[in-house]
Amino acid sequence: MLQASRNIRNIGISAHIDSGKTTLTERILFYTKRIHAIHDVKGKDGVGATMDSMDLEKERGITIASAATYCNWNGYNVNIIDTPGHVDFTIEVERSLRVLDGAVLVLCSVGGVQSQSITVDQQMKRYKVPCLAFINKCDRNGANPMRVISQLRTKLGHNAVAMQIPIGLENNFQGVIDLTTMEAIYFDGDNGEVLRREVISEALLALAKEKREELIDAVSLFSDDLTEAVLEGGEISEALIMEAVRKGTIARKLTPVFIGSAYKNKGVQPLLDAVTSYLPCPLEVENEAIDTVDTSRTVVLSGDPADPLVSLAFKLEDGAYGQLTYLRVYQGAIGRGDTIVNTRTGKKVKVGRLVRMHAEQMEDIDSIAAGSIGALFGIDCASGDSFVAPGVNLSMMSMFVPEPVISLALIPKDNKAQISMSKALNRFTKEDPTFRTHVDAETNETIIEGMGELHLEIYVERMRREYNADVTTGNPRVAYRETITRRAEFNYTHKKQTGGAGQFGRIAGYLEPYTEGDFLFDNKITGGAIPTNYIPACEKGFRQSLEKGPKIGFPVTGIMACINDGAFHAVDSSEIAFIAAAKGAFREAYAKAAPVIHEPIMKVVIETPTEYQGAVMGLLNQRRGIIVGAQDEGVMSVVESQVPLAEMVGFSTILRSATQGKAQFTMEFSAYRQVPVSVAEKIMEEIALRKKSAA
Amino acid sequence: MLHKEISTCYEKESFNPVGRFRRKGRVIYLSDRNIMMMKNELSKRNPLRHLGLDMEILKENAGFGAVMAPAGVGKTALLVQIALLAMMKEFSILHVSLNDPVNKVTLWYDEILQDLTQAYPMERVQDFREDILLHRFIMTFRVDDFSVPKLEERLNDLIVQNIFQPQILIIDGLHFNSQVEPFLVEMKALAEKHHFFVWFSVHIHREEEKAQSGIPLSIVGLHHYFQVILKIEEKGDYLSLQAIKGGLQSIATGSELRLDPTTMLITD
Repeated sequence: MLQASRNIRNIGISAHIDSGKTTLTERILFYTKRIHAIHDVKGKDGVGATMDSMDLEKERGITIASAATYCNWNGYNVNIIDTPGHVDFTIEVERSLRVLDGAVLVLCSVGGVQSQSITVDQQMKRYKVPCLAFINKCDRNGANPMRVISQLRTKLGHNAVAMQIPIGLENNFQGVIDLTTMEAIYFDGDNGEVLRREVISEALLALAKEKREELIDAVSLFSDDLTEAVLEGGEISEALIMEAVRKGTIARKLTPVFIGSAYKNKGVQPLLDAVTSYLPCPLEVENEAIDTVDTSRTVVLSGDPADPLVSLAFKLEDGAYGQLTYLRVYQGAIGRGDTIVNTRTGKKVKVGRLVRMHAEQMEDIDSIAAGSIGALFGIDCASGDSFVAPGVNLSMMSMFVPEPVISLALIPKDNKAQISMSKALNRFTKEDPTFRTHVDAETNETIIEGMGELHLEIYVERMRREYNADVTTGNPRVAYRETITRRAEFNYTHKKQTGGAGQFGRIAGYLEPYTEGDFLFDNKITGGAIPTNYIPACEKGFRQSLEKGPKIGFPVTGIMACINDGAFHAVDSSEIAFIAAAKGAFREAYAKAAPVIHEPIMKVVIETPTEYQGAVMGLLNQRRGIIVGAQDEGVMSVVESQVPLAEMVGFSTILRSATQGKAQFTMEFSAYRQVPVSVAEKIMEEIALRKKSAA
Repeated sequence: MLHKEISTCYEKESFNPVGRFRRKGRVIYLSDRNIMMMKNELSKRNPLRHLGLDMEILKENAGFGAVMAPAGVGKTALLVQIALLAMMKEFSILHVSLNDPVNKVTLWYDEILQDLTQAYPMERVQDFREDILLHRFIMTFRVDDFSVPKLEERLNDLIVQNIFQPQILIIDGLHFNSQVEPFLVEMKALAEKHHFFVWFSVHIHREEEKAQSGIPLSIVGLHHYFQVILKIEEKGDYLSLQAIKGGLQSIATGSELRLDPTTMLITD
């Protein structure tokens, strides 16, 4: 059984938008005979790539939900997760990386290391995923793989080393030279499926020898045998180099770089060889689980299929046959008919149908063993839940989920649309933890929240297409926050004597800015001024007040409430009375504590042809952006800036028109920062107007 | 005295290089007062004052300054310290790097700022950092692509749109070889046109022969372009910082400043 795990590779394919991940996956599936025809992402045949199974993905040419697939290459089972390239879908990338053992970082040979590659790289570091790099699009004008390798070193800090060199470039890109075997590889046949290995031509031999020396030099650190062989000066075998590269890669101290052009069917098979040769099998990766009894303790999982089951549900999909739950098994195995326990809810469930996914098609299987990825039907759970064998007190670590930064009001056209919308929202919120929804108590509108405009736009579009929900949307709204800037005291008495049982509670203390978290409640009551059993009610009152700040109605954060005095009445005091007293005290002090509005600031990185750099900087400047710097990279420039999210609404259209569609940008949440006074006034006016019109 | 200073600052609308909203009126905000106090304290405590740089020299329009050292000895760290000191005095700095990408340059500033402000509470440092970093703009170029006309083009993008108006330029990573003189001439003209002071990092080789002044022979002919020349040398377990040119106090007293090799900060 362990041998079976050794032949498994769980890999992800991550990269910047339009680097060709989906095209590469398509070619991998073709060469491993999982599919029998190649369809391109925006191909003329109108079929679309196999991995882009949603209509919307095919139409827009971007991958939204990551689809899982598996294939077989030289006796190895390779599970591939195709991940979205857009920052708005980062949670998908993060979830994939959590369950993967290795990744292929796809880079464009013209664009090089772009902003999204940097984000993806940081995520890989967070989850300690070893990776290979594949420099794609070597057939494009301006292709320069060696420049990309040096960018991998300087921009990402990788110890990148070329495993191949190109034979020709741009229009003349013919194949690659393998520096381990010292062979020239050409890709013949209609779809590049026939590999022709030849002797390296005289013209490239010197360069190949030089690059091989560099390769050996870089990897000899990881193998004593190789170092010895180098010192002895004899012939260095292919196996010695491969062993050293594998060690370096798994230790995340080396990034072997491969080159090719997936679209032109070149370089994909050697990359598959590399995936099986250099990326780790599940047994070589240390996975940890949390002990649910003692949460400070972590347990290293064995990866042995014979041990008790530990698995993680990393993705949910609601299909025609009910909820489909994608699982990665870390230890033990899941078989049909087994009983498993959801550690979050403690519920026992019986496993029904087990399947292996291939984009939207599926294959029934009997069991999923340790190290594998599969899916099961009919299990009600949330994304990120752990499933274990009964009696096991372990849970996989929770995944990092960022807070949403933008929201949108949804208005259904009629009752039917309302029902469809509810169904859709119920499904989407289960599938994607960064997508949230609630009903605004004041305006009665349904609000959806997410990570960016595109993120929400895609869900609204899916709602319309998949659920026939006829909805209109309001303007995107930014998730502002409120906080206080100075200490303010309160001394509030809640007193009610209007027949029946009275209410009495007095609370005194102060509110203070707090920087280490969202809220801190400090009880400094001495001498029983407020009985201990009413203290939780006081905290509850403050917490309830934080949900909707008195200034503009957004959540209040960064605040400390300290109570140091109070009074109670033997008969009239109650929990409710102290909750009300705390709310009153909060209102009283908040107004005096100089409240301010905080807004989300986004890190915006724009890649633009150099001639538009000035225009792009102008656009950012108009949007209250702070430009951190501009990086000149020959024909292209990269402008890095920090811009308030409120100013970024509709920016993609504006950027397109200002640069003739030649610039692209990525945006991710950076921090919350105080809104300037003049802007705060405008925000307050807008919110007041919205409330008025809703009423 | 301090209160007076602060209220005057808010009475007039101060120069706003990056479109930041300045509060008007006589109100003194606590956070702003904290920032000003930190700026004053850090500037007064900054050991660079011993070099007599005192910013007066930086105000000298179109002047050139150089920090000379072999590789890995702390040229960038010193330039960043000079830049931070100037930023605390509300000078606008354009940092041009020919070696490192923007995020690496940012990291230099963050790390040195962190070392300089470690005695202060975190929230004050955050406000202070946001305030002074508004006075910085980073540009990076590939060294083989870098030229004065190109820099001017980029600079005009910033100045014409009123995005950023630098008063001090830092050029880190320029190769000082036999062909650099025409560049310096062009740069001088640009500096005169826009009235800014330019600091350069000058990479020298350890074994290179030096003139009596301590300047390597290969660039001794260029020294008249510079108003200030600082030199960093390795001396056992510390790095020594001397002013070779510039009429500075440390030279007058024959003393030297020391750089801590771990933090690259000047020790007092």
